[in-house]
Amino acid sequence: MTVQASTSFSFGISSFVIPPARSRHRSVIRAQVEPSEKSVEIMRKFSEQYARRSGTYFCVDKGVTSVVIKGLADHKDQLGAPLCPCRHYDDKAAEAGQGFWNCPCVPMRERKECHCMLFLTPDNDFAGQEQTVTLEEIKESTANM
Amino acid sequence: MAVSVSTSSIPSLNSDRSNRFATSAISSSSPGLRLSSYSSSLLFPLRIGTGGLSSSSRRKRILPVVKAKKQTFSSFDDLLAKSDKPVLVDFYATWCGPCQFMVPILNEVSASLNDKIQVVKIDTEKYPSIANKYNIEALPTFIIFKDAKPFDRFEGAMTAAQLIQRIEDALKIKQ
Repeated sequence: MTVQASTSFSFGISSFVIPPARSRHRSVIRAQVEPSEKSVEIMRKFSEQYARRSGTYFCVDKGVTSVVIKGLADHKDQLGAPLCPCRHYDDKAAEAGQGFWNCPCVPMRERKECHCMLFLTPDNDFAGQEQTVTLEEIKESTANM
Repeated sequence: MAVSVSTSSIPSLNSDRSNRFATSAISSSSPGLRLSSYSSSLLFPLRIGTGGLSSSSRRKRILPVVKAKKQTFSSFDDLLAKSDKPVLVDFYATWCGPCQFMVPILNEVSASLNDKIQVVKIDTEKYPSIANKYNIEALPTFIIFKDAKPFDRFEGAMTAAQLIQRIEDALKIKQ
């Protein structure tokens, strides 16, 4: 059994991905480390509030919204701050301490630029009509990750 | 988000065990299978499906019925060098929304442009050294490699049509 382990988590929800037998050479059960449900809920609430406050909307594909919210929650768990999940960093801890890329990041605060496609201005091709996302939606759209 | 898989091969590098890179191609018979999680479970050198370069594989591989191509590379540079086609590399991260958004789009593009370009995905969290080498910042970042060198580079999610257009524009110059 191969386990992908990350750093510690408190309420970790492990979802087991069992690939279809016909396409796998051996059966592998792997635990996918997930952000804590508490952090996901915190980032979900934050996202809804901030979308309202900034006049931005979630992506038409709520899967994108869900993945980003989980990414923020994951960084919050690991680093103590919701570092932008759509960036590659040399030193995540340093970046989280520095703050430029902590959500809401400076580009978002200054220019409403969110390359994570979490907060989209109405003119954006991918912008939907909603400023809400439920925990159910998040769970469903990230169930197979 | 559902992952739809095409018939063409999309190797992905996401296991940072050693210098040994295991890439694997996913065939159309594996619905719901995360491409990026597939090869991270492969710890051993893989048997080559076409030509048997690696005879020292410790694991007997049973090839799936549908088309899939597995190859072993000693490094990312090796992968680039051995490719007979230009390579589109997708630098991504697990919890990057736009990166996941691009998964089915990459499948589609890889299928349509199967003979023109090879699509490879690199998990920047599992292979940070490669990401650093190419100064990856925003995710997803796509780099088209021609003759093992970066030729074109762009960031962000886009539609399949836009991606195909971008790739064809880059490849046009070669022809």
